[in-house]
Amino acid sequence: MNFLKKLAPQMALAESQLHKSAALHTSAVCCRVQSGRYRITTKRNRPLTYEMANPPHFIGHRKSWNSWNTSTLKDSQRPSQTAIEDLFIRKFITGTWHALVCSEIIIKRQHNTIRVASIIRQGISPRKMYFLIGYTEELLSYWMQCPVTLELQTVADKKDVVFKYI
Amino acid sequence: MYLTRQLRLLPKASIGRSIATSSTHYTTTTGAAPAAEHIEVPNRIERSPTDILKALASTVGRDHTAPHYKYHDDPFLIPMSNMAKRTYAMSKEAGRKAAKWIKEEHHELFLHQEAQPAIEKFAPSMVYTEESEVDESSLGQLIEQGELKDAVLVYNLMEQKGIALSSELKQRLLELVCFHNNQDPLPEEYIEERWFLENNRRRERHGKTWKDGDLAEKLYSEIEPKTPKTYASLIRGMAKYLQCERAYALLQEAGEKQIQLDTNTFNSIIQIISFLKDNAEQRWQLCTELLQQMSEQKLRPNLGTLNAILQCISTFGNFKLARTSALKVLPEFKQLGVNPSLGTYYYLLIIFCRERGPVSHVIVDILNEIAGREFRVEHPKDTYFFATAMDVCRNHLNDKSLAKKVNELLHTGNNYDLIGDSFKESIYYRNYLALLCQTESIEDFMLTYDLLVPNIYIPEPGIMEEVLRTIEINAAVEHVPRIWSDMVVFDHTHRESLLLYVLRIMVDNRPNADTPAQSQLPEQCAKVALDMYNKIEESVRRIKKVSFTGQMLGDILTLLVRGDNYEKASEVFSHIDKNQHRIPGTPAESALQEYVEASVKEKAPSQALAALQYAVENNMESSVLAKLIHDGFTLNETHLAKLKSLVGESFLEK
Repeated sequence: MNFLKKLAPQMALAESQLHKSAALHTSAVCCRVQSGRYRITTKRNRPLTYEMANPPHFIGHRKSWNSWNTSTLKDSQRPSQTAIEDLFIRKFITGTWHALVCSEIIIKRQHNTIRVASIIRQGISPRKMYFLIGYTEELLSYWMQCPVTLELQTVADKKDVVFKYI
Repeated sequence: MYLTRQLRLLPKASIGRSIATSSTHYTTTTGAAPAAEHIEVPNRIERSPTDILKALASTVGRDHTAPHYKYHDDPFLIPMSNMAKRTYAMSKEAGRKAAKWIKEEHHELFLHQEAQPAIEKFAPSMVYTEESEVDESSLGQLIEQGELKDAVLVYNLMEQKGIALSSELKQRLLELVCFHNNQDPLPEEYIEERWFLENNRRRERHGKTWKDGDLAEKLYSEIEPKTPKTYASLIRGMAKYLQCERAYALLQEAGEKQIQLDTNTFNSIIQIISFLKDNAEQRWQLCTELLQQMSEQKLRPNLGTLNAILQCISTFGNFKLARTSALKVLPEFKQLGVNPSLGTYYYLLIIFCRERGPVSHVIVDILNEIAGREFRVEHPKDTYFFATAMDVCRNHLNDKSLAKKVNELLHTGNNYDLIGDSFKESIYYRNYLALLCQTESIEDFMLTYDLLVPNIYIPEPGIMEEVLRTIEINAAVEHVPRIWSDMVVFDHTHRESLLLYVLRIMVDNRPNADTPAQSQLPEQCAKVALDMYNKIEESVRRIKKVSFTGQMLGDILTLLVRGDNYEKASEVFSHIDKNQHRIPGTPAESALQEYVEASVKEKAPSQALAALQYAVENNMESSVLAKLIHDGFTLNETHLAKLKSLVGESFLEK
């Protein structure tokens, strides 16, 4: 959340200016051009999963959303909290399952439960994996205060999820 | 397919109703029934918040094709042996415990409240220390939550600070301490630990565990005046943790002081009669005395009384007395309107069906009585019924149809909840499978086997042996490849007796290659044999190693020859030949013979001669082999010379 703190004074400044001159900011929208797209490397050796290989405008056509919830519908609650929580879940899982997660983490909210799906590399024994499953589910449910379920699939090798190299 | 099977689980009324409405539709369209229909609106049925969930849950049963839902549905994470089942479930729970520890250790990070209303279980628990501010209400709350350790800590704090406690609160604390014997119980949420616990606990059952002179007795002495409840809680605590003599003495003391005790207290004493008296007659006498006292105090006996009496009777060594007194007790309780629970039937089974007693068919009557009924847990011993009933079916009566009835009862409604724990479940299935494989035809048995193995039950090596025995008796060699692959998965391949069994079945039942059903079999058997050969070679490096015997290698050799895998067969034979001093025993003569025949077919005279040489060196019958070689090959000079040197000149002149 540090970046928000840094931005806060600038935004306050911008806001005051807005009131003074009532001008509109009309530069091109940066996020539509860059986010979710990967740059081609000179050696063409950057591995992409299927999810990464499709830029955001294919969402709903060739791929799907990474977060499933209803918080951004009209009159629904906690949109910002949900986004922050999803970020937390992603960071928590990639950190807990260190160097094992080899896909995006899909977070689905239904009623009061959160289901977290991901593809995991078979880098540790099943026993340890079960330990981590229990730990992650329980700790996340303490944090989110609702039941959290992990729905993992495993792959033998990281290369199994590579869709193409660019 | 699955849905249609579930259809019969739906309430019959709803199906009936839909059929009924459709039929009225039919009649109205034809115009046959124009009479005005009277619609009766049913009364509203009060539903609890979870009723819809229960209704939904009733539409899905246990899926035999998938592992239990506590395991992750991924090939890598599906447990494949009993050991793995246990380890995975326990690891998951260990992870949950670790998370809980983190929550308690860093409780300042978990103070946020997301849920409305707040859910207590997600928040870190209160920490009580020597400096905490405590009062009666906090102690009351802790007792309410069953937090024994904290409650005792708070109680001690209040003692030190000199805060007076009401005797009502002291009584509640006494009850808590007595119930748990001042030891923190296993938390309720760790279901896996409970599920697998019984395996270990079995040994430390008997003997007193009550803590003499501990907090419970101190609280008891502090409470003045002593109420019946005070006596009751201490007596029950002592009886539960087998401080039998003092519990009984306390009961007598209460009797002398004319204190009105309650039924459950008497039950707890009746339960421990076997520790108080030595022989059956004395036990029965004390039991009747106690019941007399109860009736004098106008106490109404309940299910606990019935089960306690039966428990007392089940400890009688005297079979006749046990039988007659059990038969006396049952009608009396029926008159009193006490409905027996599964625990009652469990006691009846152990009273009537004894190992050394006469054969009793009491289970038939029991099953007739309770077939199709749904049970809920009412008594701690209720979970013992199914395992014992199946044991009686197998070891006492050896009756297949009874076993099926028991199994049907187990799968009625929610009765499966009463299976107990993993230990009892495995005993149940062990007896069930062993009985079926002794009494059913092999095809029917394999149907059940496919249903249960491996997701619901994984056979132990002993049961595997029974299964193999059945296959051997039925000469059903076509099932061997499947069983072998199961054995590999369940890690039974280091048991020599099982390996020998599998080989013997395959060698003795030579598949008939002409029938289309068995045309694949020789090849499959050869694969199994080769797999086994490799497994044993690998096992040298393991701790539990299996060593080759001549018998085993001979069987493998035969199977490879029959499966037309001559190349591997000669490799196996050269292994036998080279290590003949290390391998105990020799292969069967028939094995060598088949190998030589195959050599003739493959035109490999030197291999055939090596086999002959081996036979001669090990003092085995060699003339048949020599004849085979001589007739089968047109031998060159060197080979002929070798043949002569092995069996002598005389042989060739015949």
